[in-house]
Amino acid sequence: MNGIIEVENLSFGYYAGEILKDLNFEVTPGKFVGIAGPNGAGKTTLLNLLCGLLRPKAGSIRINSARIESYSVKKLAQKVAVVRQEFVPVFDFTVAETVSMARTPYLGTFGFESKTDKKFIAEALEMTDTAQFASRPLAQLSGGERQRVFIARALAQNTAILLLDEPTSFLDLKHQVGIYDLLKKMQQEYGKTIVAVTHDINLTIQYADEALLLGTDSNYHIGKTKDVFSQQQIEKVFGVRTFTGRVGQESFFLPLGKFAKDNQTITSKPPSSQQK
Amino acid sequence: MAEFLTAKKLAIKVVICLAVLAVVMALCTLTGKIRPPEGPRKISLEKVLAGPGQTPGENIDYEILVGIRLPRVILAALVGAALACSGVVLQAILRNPLADPYILGISSGAGLGVITAVISGVTWSFWGGSPIALFAFAGATLTVWLVWYIGRLTGKSQVTTLLLAGVVINAFFSAVIMFLTSIAKSDQVHSTLLWLMGNITEKSFAVLWVSAGCILAGMFGLFSICHRLNILTFGEEEAKGLGVDTEKTKVVAFGFAALITAIAVSLSGLIGFVGLIIPHGVRLVFGPDHRQLLPVSAIIGSAFLVVADTIARIIVAPAQLPVGVITAIAGGPFFLVLLARYTRKVSWLK
Repeated sequence: MNGIIEVENLSFGYYAGEILKDLNFEVTPGKFVGIAGPNGAGKTTLLNLLCGLLRPKAGSIRINSARIESYSVKKLAQKVAVVRQEFVPVFDFTVAETVSMARTPYLGTFGFESKTDKKFIAEALEMTDTAQFASRPLAQLSGGERQRVFIARALAQNTAILLLDEPTSFLDLKHQVGIYDLLKKMQQEYGKTIVAVTHDINLTIQYADEALLLGTDSNYHIGKTKDVFSQQQIEKVFGVRTFTGRVGQESFFLPLGKFAKDNQTITSKPPSSQQK
Repeated sequence: MAEFLTAKKLAIKVVICLAVLAVVMALCTLTGKIRPPEGPRKISLEKVLAGPGQTPGENIDYEILVGIRLPRVILAALVGAALACSGVVLQAILRNPLADPYILGISSGAGLGVITAVISGVTWSFWGGSPIALFAFAGATLTVWLVWYIGRLTGKSQVTTLLLAGVVINAFFSAVIMFLTSIAKSDQVHSTLLWLMGNITEKSFAVLWVSAGCILAGMFGLFSICHRLNILTFGEEEAKGLGVDTEKTKVVAFGFAALITAIAVSLSGLIGFVGLIIPHGVRLVFGPDHRQLLPVSAIIGSAFLVVADTIARIIVAPAQLPVGVITAIAGGPFFLVLLARYTRKVSWLK
């Protein structure tokens, strides 16, 4: 195996039962992997295992070929950055102060940033387009802007791996796409390995290279996104019928509930060529 | 581009604040009349500078200024710094802007120690000081240990469990204090009440130096974890993700904060408001970065308590008020003004 993340026979459960059972997969460097699955399937649990917050019950996780337990908290934070759902902190930190915290794993005893640290921070602010409001408190930003700040912080952390837990949950369509565009840019320009937990299958299909679909019965599917997500697979795992449409080579899925309008009226359309 | 806090910028601000503190301390030492037998008069700087006389009582100005007022002002400065620092750290760790140095049961623990000392009538002295301080210190540290122990029963030191344990222990010990107060003799009750209100009195230099050493060491320890405290205010998961050993940081933070609070409480009783409003006020004006918030709060807390104690000393002279009364009366409105005026608009202070 030569993955940057290697998961072998991983099992985990909070109490008696197991949420994740015998999970095996690896992530090759520079790939964008989406983790999908119904609520309670263990998506966030898996993410917390991958960032060392939880310890496996059985099996192993390797980061850069070394077992995750062998890293100190500080060393692991130099390899893996985590972005969770955006929130407003208790105290009124500014954008720049928040992004500066990314450099903690590299700081000395009293924690003052060096020139190199400042370079990383400035670059992260520029890259994520957050430099314009660098001196504003986080509370004054919109949810989408705040999420960009947290991504900027992860970028300034200068890690090879970036883990995200539902980064677009509370964002509108424009900001959802904006965040995924930003992640794609980070993958392409900086060669970051990105693992994102998400509820949005369609965004995953659009942006991710590979996907891991976790089921509630400890079954899972991993592979190219187009192989993992199919109408039958989604119906089986989520218990929801979908309408499938195609845009170019990719299939996209629209969930249909009991009261969904007549399926006949939904037609698939290729993207308009005039649209930009 | 946003500006960064650098060690140099911080040092400049701290030196400026220290200079202001020195001036405040000097002025407060000189404030107030002395009452020699020939009648009350102002202290004479000339006489003070002449140095001590050959025999005791020869240069009364010098003796009062250096022997009585100076240690008292230093004591107020130390206690103010300790309470403000402890408030800063506990607010950060508990992620609760309403936390104060007494939230983990230190106040009631120390109070219980004091009333035990008063009722049992211990008379031996300790470094020229009263045994009350020692009992207060023992009570405070034992209570913090108890709260910490209960907080960890659920596994790791969960912030909410700690807070709850603190509140419950505080309530329980307060009840015990009330019980003991109600069965104690009235003169014993008076000295306990005075202590509970917060009272700065003259202490020997020996006590002062030892306390100063411990408090400064504690503050230095806390300063070394300030950048980690910044991240801890975002939550423990976030902090771990950014390479912070959260358990270690919490142990250091609680340990040093409890130590300096216990020393402050045993020196001067329960002085309210300083540990709550000084961190708030400084945060409103200077921002929440703990590397700056902690040292600046310490110095402002010092200055605030020195001034409050001077007011307590002179306002009803020759009688004196407990300083806790002044901090509560002055602190509240002062804080409201701050709250109304600043929402971090003062850019030159950042």
